[in-house]
Amino acid sequence: MVKFYQHTSSFEHAWDNVTYAFWLRYPNPFASHVVGCDVIDRQVDPVTGVLRTTRLILKQGVLPRWGRGLIKNPDAYIIEESEVDPRTQTMVTRTKNLNHVRVMQVEETQTFTVHPENPKWTQVKTEARIISELKWGLTGRVEAFGINKFMDNSAKARKGMAHILERLRQNAALAAPATAAAAGVAAPDC
Amino acid sequence: MSSSIGEKCTQIKQEYDGCFNSWYSEKFLKGDATPKCDDLFFKYKECLLKTLEEKKLDTLLADARKDNPFPNSAASSASPSSGSSSESSKKN
Repeated sequence: MVKFYQHTSSFEHAWDNVTYAFWLRYPNPFASHVVGCDVIDRQVDPVTGVLRTTRLILKQGVLPRWGRGLIKNPDAYIIEESEVDPRTQTMVTRTKNLNHVRVMQVEETQTFTVHPENPKWTQVKTEARIISELKWGLTGRVEAFGINKFMDNSAKARKGMAHILERLRQNAALAAPATAAAAGVAAPDC
Repeated sequence: MSSSIGEKCTQIKQEYDGCFNSWYSEKFLKGDATPKCDDLFFKYKECLLKTLEEKKLDTLLADARKDNPFPNSAASSASPSSGSSSESSKKN
């Protein structure tokens, strides 16, 4: 079973701020299951100037009753890779789960660009693939669960980003722009 | 601030994060990619690599990154268990 999903949304915040918020997005009130987040690798490409980062995220979730026979350990590891190109103002991110892949693989790619209709906003295009190869009649239930969970998680992720962006905006309103970043450092981040 | 997956690494991680956040917003986004946080990142990664090995995540990560390389990444980043990756990469 493979399901595809596409969605375009926007943040009423500038691209610089949105990409900055991306680094700060955990913890936030909508991401209570995220218990750890680490930068595994990070480099600036000397030729293109693109910042490439790999992060590992640990989520501790709760399994539905029917899932407990399939999965022993509700710890979920997610790998997040991203590329930020400040010259073209494009950020592309990709997340996928590292474990529980036999039950389900969820891979999401997001592209953040300056909004075509408002240079002070950011547009986000999301594409996702949800794959499950389970047999024995489980696929339907797993599929429905996976899609619903994914949609929930997408909505929470947007709310989480919006929350962090609002905090940054409030901090910036209190401080001069150059120090707003430093004020933003005091906000939760990953 | 968010914690590290390895509890012992949280403090050095947060120091590194603070440095990165400043660099990202004050330098990188303004066109200056000169690295500023390499030392902190090196220490953070040292701690992290131990955690990844203890939790047996190093092979899991390496396999995932090999299988399906991220679009546009040239000769993808070194695997996390490789000691040389922390020395050769320019991190900020």
